[in-house]
Amino acid sequence: MSACLALARREFGSYLRQPAGWIIIALYLLLAGIVFCAGVLVPGRPATLREFFALSGWLLLPVAPAISMRLVAEELRSGTIEQLLTAPLSAWALVMGKYLGAMLFLGAMLLPTLVFPAVLWAHASPAPAPGPVVAGYLCLVLLGASYVALGLLASCCTSNATLAFMTTLFVILALLFAPAAAELAPESLRPLIARLSPAPRILDFARGIIDTANVAFFAIVSCVLVVASVAVMEVRRWR
Amino acid sequence: MILLDDVHKTFGSVHAVRGVTFEVPPGQIVGLLGPNGAGKTTTIRMSVGYFMPDRGRVVIDGHDTRESPEAARSRIGYMPEATPLYPEMRVADYLDFRGRLFAMDRSSRREATARVMDRCDLTQVAHRRIGVLSKGFRQRVGLAAALLHDPPVLVLDEPTNGLDPAQIREVRGLVKELAAKRTMLISSHILSEVERLCDRLIVVSGGRVRGDGTPERLAAAASQEREYVLEARFDTDESARGFEAAVASLSGVASCSSSEPLDGAWRRFRVSARADGADLRESLAAAARARDIPVRELHALTPSLERAFHALADAGEEANP
Repeated sequence: MSACLALARREFGSYLRQPAGWIIIALYLLLAGIVFCAGVLVPGRPATLREFFALSGWLLLPVAPAISMRLVAEELRSGTIEQLLTAPLSAWALVMGKYLGAMLFLGAMLLPTLVFPAVLWAHASPAPAPGPVVAGYLCLVLLGASYVALGLLASCCTSNATLAFMTTLFVILALLFAPAAAELAPESLRPLIARLSPAPRILDFARGIIDTANVAFFAIVSCVLVVASVAVMEVRRWR
Repeated sequence: MILLDDVHKTFGSVHAVRGVTFEVPPGQIVGLLGPNGAGKTTTIRMSVGYFMPDRGRVVIDGHDTRESPEAARSRIGYMPEATPLYPEMRVADYLDFRGRLFAMDRSSRREATARVMDRCDLTQVAHRRIGVLSKGFRQRVGLAAALLHDPPVLVLDEPTNGLDPAQIREVRGLVKELAAKRTMLISSHILSEVERLCDRLIVVSGGRVRGDGTPERLAAAASQEREYVLEARFDTDESARGFEAAVASLSGVASCSSSEPLDGAWRRFRVSARADGADLRESLAAAARARDIPVRELHALTPSLERAFHALADAGEEANP
């Protein structure tokens, strides 16, 4: 456990010690700020962050793969993975440490956006209900966790961080477009394809609905992807 | 103690390691030698638990890397080739991170970090980023990280790679000092380095162990022909040619060749003895004395490790082309 936390701590610190980490934060806050100003701060409309949360799937699209792409791929490229795999830590501790570090960074990136509800609560009348805001942030965390887990798996599979980024990006895009693509699929497959997409679940959260099925969906997807990453790292040792 | 017992490793269609077996007892420094692609790095990586062998077993200080991998790895200090490190981290932070990976508590980490920084002469760069350090300093950071948890087994892959002569001398001294109570496996391409540093050498080629013994024993075993050098003075070319023919006809001599005059009338003869032949120095001296030829030098050439290494490596390549 201590090794896992050490790795998470190093990973989190590594984002902040490098310009790439600050560029990711700046990019996300820029996109989020544009959405907030153009979609939320509209005179005469009710004070709600629904627009901001509804677009969270797209806002995280370029950012989450950038957070996750270097997690393992960079270690494989530079050879530092040798230092980790010869230390007394399991594949679980290694992958969880990396994942936890990335999630801490994601949290740090989302933290400044709390200024959006704070602005609405301070200046809008009537002030937005806290329930949908909580649901929206839960969505951001769960969705971010799934995206990062997907990126972690891609990063475990290659020593090329750019390839890991592109793979994650395209898979997320495919999932976001899955409801539209389902229309083209055979009738029997349509419900299955539609269920794989996070898009309708994000809209539920944005409306303030915390559906346990949606929470479970994101939690299960994240868990499965993390387990798959552990398996990939274990296979690396044995192959 | 490091034990590799009939270890095999295959990557796709390449059988990189084919039944390597050796044991390194405590207090011994063993050098692992071999040409590129010999299976040396794969053997080292299996020894430190980076790879698992397809077949056979690796035991580190009593712990099988397959049955108790974490316990085995906790007993190893490993410095990989090229010393991969995190360039954005500061030296002291990196060592602290390594201590955390090895589950050391705060006070042990602090004490161990100070100890290894002092030992590897890193104190003056403790708060500098690794990325801005010279190659020599980075090498020392890698060595300090390997020593941090005071492991009973130390595996160093090219430990003096990229160091200047003074640093090489320092590392050599440090390795000798550390070997007193540790098991050490060192991989190096520099023959003179391992010859000076190691008590025992293992030559790997074609994925197999081709030679195992002290540097002297390996060199002697590999040189089938002994060679002698004799320098003598001749007044005429005819007398030199006559002496050359007389030496070539001596019992036990395989061949004799002479050089052009060196300085004045002195010439150097290189005499090769037949395999398993007796020492020729006495009969060479007698041949010169019989012709009243002044001799200023006569010695047997010491079998070289380089020759032994090439002979063993070539044998491996012939066996596995």
